[in-house]
Parts: sequence; structure tokens; C-alpha cells
Amino acid sequence: MRRIYESDAVERDRSDPFRPGDAEEGVEPQAARSITSSAWSKRLLPHWLRHRVVTVDVTAERTHVGPAESVPFTVTFTNRLPIPVSVEVRSPLLWTWSVDGHVEASRVPVHDPPDGTAYLNLDRGERRRFRREWSGLFRISDREWDRADRGEHTLRVAVNVADPDGKGLADETTITVE
Amino acid sequence: MALLEVRDLTVTFYTAEGVVTAVDDLSYSIEAGEKFGVVGESGAGKSVTALSLLRLIESPGRIESGEILLDGDDLLEMTETEIQEVRGNRVAMIFQDAQTALNPVYTVGDQISEAIRHHLDHTDEEARERAIELLDRVGIPDAEARYSDYPHEFSGGMQQRAVIAMALSCDPDLLVADEPTTALDVTTEAKILAELEDLAEEFDTAVQLITHDLGVVADLCDRVMVMYAGKSVERASAEDLFYDPKHPYTVGLMSSIPRIGDDRDRLQTIPGSMPDLISTPTGCSFHPRCPYAEEACRRTEPALTEPETGKPATVGSERSARCLEYTGELNGGLDYDVTVRDDAAAPTEGSQ
Repeated sequence: MRRIYESDAVERDRSDPFRPGDAEEGVEPQAARSITSSAWSKRLLPHWLRHRVVTVDVTAERTHVGPAESVPFTVTFTNRLPIPVSVEVRSPLLWTWSVDGHVEASRVPVHDPPDGTAYLNLDRGERRRFRREWSGLFRISDREWDRADRGEHTLRVAVNVADPDGKGLADETTITVE
Repeated sequence: MALLEVRDLTVTFYTAEGVVTAVDDLSYSIEAGEKFGVVGESGAGKSVTALSLLRLIESPGRIESGEILLDGDDLLEMTETEIQEVRGNRVAMIFQDAQTALNPVYTVGDQISEAIRHHLDHTDEEARERAIELLDRVGIPDAEARYSDYPHEFSGGMQQRAVIAMALSCDPDLLVADEPTTALDVTTEAKILAELEDLAEEFDTAVQLITHDLGVVADLCDRVMVMYAGKSVERASAEDLFYDPKHPYTVGLMSSIPRIGDDRDRLQTIPGSMPDLISTPTGCSFHPRCPYAEEACRRTEPALTEPETGKPATVGSERSARCLEYTGELNGGLDYDVTVRDDAAAPTEGSQ
């Protein structure tokens, strides 16, 4: 298919601005990519390297909270390489957060993702940030939530790969309920 | 048996940010020839529900669970060929923005007759005649000449009429109208809605009308479902909903309708906004915005209940609302009055 930038329709001659110009051809537009950037990562970077260059960080706004008080937190994924990186994960659920090992602070299953791999794509040097909030409650059944006990609770974020800790794709912080 | 029965439908979108549960365990039914309204704010899951009916949810969306029964046949179990026979034929859809719904490089007439040729096995000439007849029926003047016009040659109202003609072309059992008048001015809106009502009655077509305009619902619908954060929070006949709303969200929606002659200084609104569907609030999704919320609302998710009896609602229940008030778990109760003013154009006013 002929593209608009190949048609000369948008070029202008200085003496006659309404006539298509005869500027030198062969200059490829820089922004147009004929292959997605993540495709290079999938072909050229070994998995161990992709795991090593991506970092995961979780930061809670408050680490000491009252009973049933909400805890907003920020999850940051960073690609330390100057090229795009795609991390293969086990399902379309790219990453999860959990409290004391309970995904999304729920003691009942909350998601049932389909089988099949997916990719966490990060552009070159990209830092992607997501904001979440733990309500200070645990879901104990489909309809019921209960307060978290006083004491320390571990808020953990992990990319959905096998052994995220071993691959450096998990982080955690401690929240103290007073 | 109901014409359409949706049972426990859950639709999720797997995004980089998280899992968006756009429709959460939704159940409702539509009888043949019935006009059923679906209302709610933007992001309530109304359009996703409509798209699910025709299995038009695209990746990363996924119908996670549930059943969509059309005359007893589960649309979710059908093969791609079978569902194509349903689309535009037994279930037709009027999309939000007619300009986008119409293909700019085909004439309007061609686009209408394509569906007729495909589903009804008409010849080109027969399909053309039926398309012209339909254009005329939906109020396009000089339909024969307009048959060969391209969408850009139609005004917004005419484009919407053409889309309605396309939807009615195969005489569907169910017409899903997804905010058909949002992009139109009020006079054209009134005409299109009147037209839609006449046509639905003439063709004996059931209509699922998705809108965020309660005035449209009052005018057109027999029964209404109010949606919030992907869930149905109230289901009732249009009359019951306006005269005796049972859910605080419905009351909030009604009290935020501007009225001529109203002496309030400021328009009453529902504080806050629709929650992020990636992390909906615990308990009742509406509790952060609800003036009657208590601690129980944060800890317990209310089930859809029959307000009069307190029993769990079923798909066939006449009335249902999702509030702890109706299961006896709310201590303070719902403290609002509904005032019906005979002289006003709008019948109800909720005060909080």
C-alpha cells in the first residue's frame, strides 16, 4: 500500500509552494517502524538477561497505619537497558500484588486467567508506574471482608513468572497495623 | 421463556495495569417485544454488556463466565459461523456513533443491502428495493436518490437513521441500541427516539436501550436496569424506578436531573466518581459515594435482593436492588423522600 509520505503530496517547492517538490528521495521517516520494538527483544535478548535488566519496586505511602486504614502504594517496573525489553509471563495476568501471600489481599481466588503466555513490554529505559491501594482488609469470602490483625504485614509485588524472587522480579515492603 | 436471558455474565480485560472487571456477575432477561433500558454513568459496563451479547469483545477482553441465552440457545457456545448468523439477523445493534459505524467508502444503501443479501438471500435488486423501503421508513427524504449517497453526504441525524434502518433490515428479534442519540441534538434525539419506538412496535422487536439519560428511559422503556461498576444495582419497571427508587445510586441519578422551574441554587450531584474497575472498593462498590454508607457497607458486598421480601433476587424477579438495607444489615436505613409533583414535566425528585 502506498503511504502518504511516499506520494510526494506533502512536499513543497520553495519557489512554488503548491507544486509537489523534487526533494531527494530515500529519506525514511524516523518515526515509522516496520517491526515492533518488542519483537527485537524477543529474538535477540536471552530470557535471563531480560529478567536481570527489569527491576520491580513497591513503595507504600505509609508504613504505619491504624486498623482498617487504607494503604496506597506505588508499583514501579523499570527497564535499565536502552533497548525495549519484553518479559514472558505465564498468563495474561502480568503481575500481582499480595498481602501476607494472599493475592489482592483475598483469601478466596479473585482471578482465573486463561492459559497462555503473555508479555510485559517495557520500552527503552521505560519506568512504568501503577498506583494501587490496600484497604487494610482481607477478603474472607465472596461477599465478606475482615480487618487485618494488628502487627506486621508483608505487601509484595511480583511479575507472573516462575520463581520471581530468584529472577529478581519481585519486591516487598512491610506495613505495620497499629 | 424470555427472549434473552443473561446469567452470571462476567467480562474481564487483561491490561498491563491489571485486570479490569467491566461486567461482574450480571444477570437479566428481556421478554419478546419488551423495551428494556440499561442506565448508568460512563464506565458502568453498559456498552461492554451490549458488545458481549454479540460476542464482539475484542482482545484483551474476555467473557470469563456466564450464559447468554437467546430463545434458549447459548450464544457463548455457538461456533463463529453460527454467531454470524445471529449478528444483524436475530440480534442487531445500533452503535453509539453512527459516523464511525458507517463505512465511509461504501454508499449508505450498499451497506444496508449487504446485510439483507447476506442474511435473507435476496437478489441485488430485491435487496436494493428493501433498503430503499427501509430508508424511506426511517424518514430519509427522497430515499431512492439517497441510496447512492456516501455517509459524509448525510447529516448526523440522517446517519443515525441509516444505522437504524440497517439494524432493522433483517427484522431482528432483539435490537441493542447503545446510546443511539448521544451524538445528536435534542430535537433530532426526540424524533429518532419516537421513530425507534414506532419501529420497534411495528416490527415487534425487543429493544435493549443503553443510555445515561433517565429522561429517555422514562419515555421509552418498560423495565430498567441501573448499572454501577459492572454490576446491576437495581432492576424494576420504569414506573417503579421513577416513583419508588430503592437504591441510593438511583436516587442520586434522579436528583441530579436538571429541571425547568427548579429553585435549587446548585444542581445536586453524586459526589466522587465511578471507581477504577481494576480495584473496586471492598464491600458495596458504591459505598465511598453513598450518603447512607456504614461500616457494614465497607465489609459486606450486598447481594441482589427483592426489596419487599428480602429474598435473593433471581433473573425473573420483578424488582431487585443491591443494598444491605434490604437484607436488614444496615442500621441507619435509607433516609430519602421521593416527591411526586403533578405539575412538573418530570415526575419525581429524590432528596437526600
